[in-house]
Amino acid sequence: MTNAIDPMGEAGLQFYSKVSASISHDIKNSLAVINESAGYLEDVTLMAKKGMNIDINRLETLAGSMLKQVQRANTIVKNMNRLAHSLDDPACQTDLNALIELMLRLSERTTVTRGVKVSAAFSDPAITITTHPFYVENLIWLILNFGMDVVGDAKAIDITPEKIDSGAAVHFTGLEKLTPEALDTFQTEPLRQMLAALKSTLQSDEKSGRITLVFPENITR
Amino acid sequence: MQLLLVDDEKDFVETLAERLSLRGIQADWVTSAEAAEAKIKDHRYDLLLLDVKMPRVGGRELKKIIEKQQPGIKTIYLTGHGSEEDYQAGSAEAEYYLMKPININDLIAKIHDALGNKGD
Repeated sequence: MTNAIDPMGEAGLQFYSKVSASISHDIKNSLAVINESAGYLEDVTLMAKKGMNIDINRLETLAGSMLKQVQRANTIVKNMNRLAHSLDDPACQTDLNALIELMLRLSERTTVTRGVKVSAAFSDPAITITTHPFYVENLIWLILNFGMDVVGDAKAIDITPEKIDSGAAVHFTGLEKLTPEALDTFQTEPLRQMLAALKSTLQSDEKSGRITLVFPENITR
Repeated sequence: MQLLLVDDEKDFVETLAERLSLRGIQADWVTSAEAAEAKIKDHRYDLLLLDVKMPRVGGRELKKIIEKQQPGIKTIYLTGHGSEEDYQAGSAEAEYYLMKPININDLIAKIHDALGNKGD
């Protein structure tokens, strides 16, 4: 047994575990709706066998609800699958719009629970960089979680990717309670290691409540 | 007996209330802590069924708010999934802490048990 735990690797596992826990919660909620709907169908079937009238419209609503929940659970599993596959290759072509959208979806339960609205202004055309997508996702997740601690009274965080000469920048705005002290506490060893591994930097502007991640166009160069 | 169900999953809470009604248990339902606070102002309830994780104000925080107005009100927590820490803390605060999806007969048994069978 050694104490030399890889901080970046451990942070990656923590991120993956938290997202997995959130996803399992969402899937259980979908199952709970389907369970009640199926239970209700069973109830009214028993009532119908005893000669009671069935409300057909209610049955239609229940069927729709179950289909909606199956679609919801399917989307949740697809997103989990995309996150899992982002570990396949240490450097690959990554569409930042798609990656940010995935992170919005995977963070939704946490942000909604905390009453924070997170939105993205996607770039057109899409920005593609060669990077390690999993650690970019991890960085975005870390910043979103930190951002919810320092968000302004509007409780809204905006994420904006931007193409720059050296690669790409991702801006997080709405962090009006951002202070140098809070930022200092946030910049832990795992975060620093992730930034170094991705050859990226984290810039901040406390006055405008903004954090920016800057990524190179190609991590392998 | 009068129950108040609070869960941000409308389809879940609406259908659960209907199923309880079919079994002779009247349950009002709302989909947010804010709506529950409004409801509790002019209604007295015997038991709360609260989702632990809801936007802004979760079930555990809501219980504390409602208890100030209706001290001693019985509570059953519902959750999709929680950590062991959540389970331990929630179990200590409420009569029961149930995991979704729930079994209706098990829930009804727990409701009666929580109310000391006064709803029978």
